[in-house]
Amino acid sequence: MTSLSSLQATISKITTIPTLPTVITRISKLLQNPQTSAEEIGKVITTDQALTTKVLKLVNSAFYGFPGKIGTITHAIVILGFSTVANIVLTASILDVFRRKSNEGAAFDMEKFWLHSIATGAAAQAIAKFIGSSQKEECFIAGLIHDIGKIILCQYQPAAFDQVLQDAQQKQILFYESEKAQFDVTHQEIGGMLAEHWNLPAALTAAIKYHHIPSTSRDFFSVTAIVHCADIFVRAMDVGNGGDEKIPCMAEVAWNNLGLENVPLPTLIEKINDEIERSTVFLQMIN
Amino acid sequence: MKRILVENIGDGMLLAKEVLGPSGNVLLNKGTAVNAAMGRRLKNWGILFVYVEGEEELQTAQAVAQLSPDQILALLENKFSAVINNPIMKKIFAAVYNYKLNKGPR
Repeated sequence: MTSLSSLQATISKITTIPTLPTVITRISKLLQNPQTSAEEIGKVITTDQALTTKVLKLVNSAFYGFPGKIGTITHAIVILGFSTVANIVLTASILDVFRRKSNEGAAFDMEKFWLHSIATGAAAQAIAKFIGSSQKEECFIAGLIHDIGKIILCQYQPAAFDQVLQDAQQKQILFYESEKAQFDVTHQEIGGMLAEHWNLPAALTAAIKYHHIPSTSRDFFSVTAIVHCADIFVRAMDVGNGGDEKIPCMAEVAWNNLGLENVPLPTLIEKINDEIERSTVFLQMIN
Repeated sequence: MKRILVENIGDGMLLAKEVLGPSGNVLLNKGTAVNAAMGRRLKNWGILFVYVEGEEELQTAQAVAQLSPDQILALLENKFSAVINNPIMKKIFAAVYNYKLNKGPR
């Protein structure tokens, strides 16, 4: 088992991870002011040209429903609204930080990891829409980054990470069960620390920390419970892979509170699959 | 590199990985150009998948949809083995199994 000092070393190294662009903080501040205009937000985003290109690529993808029709950030804000564009900027920035580093030959398949993550985001959005939640965009981002702690462990504690991966596969247990047994810390905790370090919205932090035990997520139960369910559906549907071959048990409190006990599952699964198929653009962005 | 079912091997596809037989012997080398007839022969050898050159497609669910009903069942049973006694998981298992059966190849 890894010692506490080495765990602390891992966490302290997290501060060396690239920060999110300052644009994110500036936009959050602008959004708090009801007087802010589309032009003002547009101006802030376009100061970062690389980010602007990525945001335009996303808004023009099938995922947002206006393929090839939006030419400028201002136009995007007018059509999609402030908060949607702000969420797209956040998504593009996070994907950029974790742009796939080649890990050719490594035991952990990054391609499949991102496939699982993107599909969980898409599934969370589909579930949110299905039950009429107003938080579909938060659900998408939360699903996309729910396993972000695994990347941190993989990059900063590669030997221990490989051990966790191997143990999960040999014993046919869940990744986090293997982490607990060997590493005395889980990807949920590490991911949660990163989210706090980045000042991500509290709902996203909660979803990362508690996606395996949604009952403990308190004020952010709804988003966390949706991500918990999305993760399970995506594993069952076998899209991508987050490092184990097993499936966690559905928390009854999540299932019942979201009202899923009475929905026609075939329809829900169909909707999840449609949303996943629309999300291919995100896989292009991470590569 | 992408993984495809041997049934879906098309003429002129290039193997991105060597194909090993049941006893670990090399049946086909990496870089070999394969065709549908070779795909049928590989199937007779008990080979289900090969790796060919090209971009992985996002929807691995589609590849799974092309497995036989028994293969889908085996895959799901393995995934769900620790949780199948939970009534909610039972429902999800059944729904996903039926979904995959009905989806079929495109």
